[in-house]
Amino acid sequence: MDHFERLEGDLRFVRGALDASTKSASPSALYFLWAAVVLVGFVLVDFQPDLVTEYWTIAGPAGFFASAYLGWRHARQTGQASASDGRRHVLHWAAVLVAVALAVLLARDGGMPPGTLQAVILLLLSLGYFTAGLHLDRRLLWVGFLMGVGSIVVTVVSLYAWTMVGIALAVSLVVAGMWEGRSREATT
Amino acid sequence: MKRRLEVGSAELPFVELDDLLQHRARIGAAVLLARHDQLSFSRLKALLYETDGNLGAQMRKLEDAGYVAARKEFQNRRPVTWYGLTAKGKRALSQHLANLERLIQRARGARE
Repeated sequence: MDHFERLEGDLRFVRGALDASTKSASPSALYFLWAAVVLVGFVLVDFQPDLVTEYWTIAGPAGFFASAYLGWRHARQTGQASASDGRRHVLHWAAVLVAVALAVLLARDGGMPPGTLQAVILLLLSLGYFTAGLHLDRRLLWVGFLMGVGSIVVTVVSLYAWTMVGIALAVSLVVAGMWEGRSREATT
Repeated sequence: MKRRLEVGSAELPFVELDDLLQHRARIGAAVLLARHDQLSFSRLKALLYETDGNLGAQMRKLEDAGYVAARKEFQNRRPVTWYGLTAKGKRALSQHLANLERLIQRARGARE
């Protein structure tokens, strides 16, 4: 049974290599980018509400394309490029972006007060982050959960709620980004 | 190149395994390339815990057999070799894994 023992050892080894290769591959820069985008965007709701729509109309799609670029650059730097993984990430976040855009369009008729629309958008983002945490990158799970809590906070708390939620989310994204960087250092 | 293997001492039909994919580094590289479209030489080296010389030799064997295709490019003035699994490599790996599964099932049957 020598041959089989060697075969079993080889298969265990291959499985280990495969597991190591499929661990989270999002670059830290991506987390830091969204921490900054979210912080500015959420603080604006409390301090410059008239700029919020313009800000997110530009920052949302720009952040999406910047993220796609950062992901592509990261894949080249780490020497691991998977078109199917890239497609999955792009489709997921594009769907979230479209869902948010549709929510804004639906609310345009006046069927939804602006405060409620913002909470609904946060809820959609929370769902987007949570499902990304389930299927793409485990570290986004608790960011999504925090966003869900945030969508309740902004409907209950009236004073500087968006600023508080924005700071909490930015901190959680920075921590997730640092965690990502540290775990990569440990595996290389 | 195919090799015939007999399972234990039991009277069992032969299972053909691809000799090229019997080496740990070569099957490891093939499986990794089947999961990810393109992997660089350094990434494969890190994932498979191989030395430059050994991995280079193993990858050349896969390349010569037409199982993988190599592409060279420069990143920040440093040469980087990217590997991808060819259609022939995918077929060979799929066949090899199916045969391995059969072999394992038969070995289990022989043990029981």
